[in-house]
Amino acid sequence: MAEPVFVLLSFLVLYGALITVLHRDMVVCALHLAGSMLALAGLFFILGAHFIAGVQVVVYAGAVMVLFVMVVMLFDLKRKNYILFSGGLWPKLASLFFLTGLIAGVFPLSLHLFHPQSAQALKTTSTKELSSLLFTEYVLAFEVLGILLLLIAVGVAVLCRPKREGPADVMNTKKKE
Amino acid sequence: MGSDFFEITVNFIKIAVIFLLMVQMVPLLVWVERRGSAFIQNRFGPNRIGPLGLVQNLADLVKFLCKEDFLGHKGRKNFFYAAPVLSLIPAALAFGAIPLSSPVTIQAFEWLGRSWGPYTFYFQSFVISIGIVFVLGVSSLAVYSLLLAGWSSGSKFSLYGALRASAQAISYELALSLSIVGILLLFSTFSFSEIIAAQNNPLQFYFFGKQVSIPFLPNWGIFYQPLGAILLFVALFAEANRLPFDLPEAEAELVAGYHTEYSGVKIIMFYMGEYGHMLVASALMVTFYFGGYTLWPFLTPEKLNLLFSSFHPSWNSILTSLILHGVFMLKLLFFLWVFIWVRWTLPRFRYDQLMDLGWKTLLPWALVNTIVTGVWIFLMRSF
Repeated sequence: MAEPVFVLLSFLVLYGALITVLHRDMVVCALHLAGSMLALAGLFFILGAHFIAGVQVVVYAGAVMVLFVMVVMLFDLKRKNYILFSGGLWPKLASLFFLTGLIAGVFPLSLHLFHPQSAQALKTTSTKELSSLLFTEYVLAFEVLGILLLLIAVGVAVLCRPKREGPADVMNTKKKE
Repeated sequence: MGSDFFEITVNFIKIAVIFLLMVQMVPLLVWVERRGSAFIQNRFGPNRIGPLGLVQNLADLVKFLCKEDFLGHKGRKNFFYAAPVLSLIPAALAFGAIPLSSPVTIQAFEWLGRSWGPYTFYFQSFVISIGIVFVLGVSSLAVYSLLLAGWSSGSKFSLYGALRASAQAISYELALSLSIVGILLLFSTFSFSEIIAAQNNPLQFYFFGKQVSIPFLPNWGIFYQPLGAILLFVALFAEANRLPFDLPEAEAELVAGYHTEYSGVKIIMFYMGEYGHMLVASALMVTFYFGGYTLWPFLTPEKLNLLFSSFHPSWNSILTSLILHGVFMLKLLFFLWVFIWVRWTLPRFRYDQLMDLGWKTLLPWALVNTIVTGVWIFLMRSF
């Protein structure tokens, strides 16, 4: 039962990712990326990581991709095409360069994937054990990630704040004058 | 799915029946909505066709089927057609994961010259170990259908409606998830059936290390988490895009919001999605805070099993399950009525008030609720 489903889901993940890169219409790309995320959640699920699958759906497909799709729809980018099809020579060369680098970097590191071994890290699928691990052994990484997210939120709020002409600014301009 | 022919067949029928149960609630709810609004506003409502106007929806369906299938010239056909279907899927999937009654156990029996082994059928479309996360995740996908509908219509009003809907859904999702955390901490589980089983007891809790039991009250979540229940209910209203949070389809500003350009059967599918959301929301309220399908101390699985003990064990289990399903449906109908009641009682929020309520009221209170619950549980159990 599991193997055909695995193959199907892997195909969906790859197909969605491929369309995301190749299609000309931004909205289609974003939706295919969301579909790819969902299929990835399905992969997590049949591999026994139920909680990760749920979180994948909630966070990526449910929140992050919704924002992407919303922004893409708002700006209506459907007539703009990208480097792969219509850019100049230099962008094409640059993207080729980066792609070569990526392949050269990733390929040697992922060779061992062709010889599957039993996973050493987590032998648990239950949410309880996973969360107790998260709050004991990995608590530092967990909290640091939380602080990182908080910093990002504060940074966005600061950057997006409209520039007020408060009393301090008025004083500064007066001094300059 | 199951090990043999019988089990697989029953499971398929079960999935179909629960889906149809959800879909068939919609005309009933539309009728309740119309008659209920008329009752609240001191009018008659539709009362001409059939007894009590019950057949009005059938007449409306004929009207919907005869409507022109319209697509504006700036619309995007594929997405335009996909959006109504997508609006139905999340609600159906989420509703399928919620247990509607106690599991049915069938003893081994002889049929067609062979023996069929003992089975256990769960009274839900599928059992999933991370029930709550699944329901939250799947219902968060409903935003796509609104976004797609608004964008693919190629109309400004639709797009505004879709933007409002998605911004609202994303804002309230945080408060929704956080308000459940208190219940998860209390019952310390992620599965619906364990939460329901925990509520099928007299009210008992630890008070500075001593176990206190109140024998005449059920162990329902509402007694521990009244704030969480209110926050969850408000957030669910916003998620379902119902009044007082129906900014996405505010008629005075946006014609009809994201489904302005839709007609005929496609608009019915949006309505089905909306009512499906209401059903899921009510089912979540019942399951988390009001004991699910149990009604301690009167109608519990154990007492009903005892009552039907003269029957064959299989029939005993089936009867128990059906009666408990009735209990669940009664509770569900009460919350559905509250949805309709609120819709025809409260006026609509302004958009900035909506966002303020989500981010500055619900979210902080949900956070406080989580922290206080956590600290309180830790103190009470560790003394």
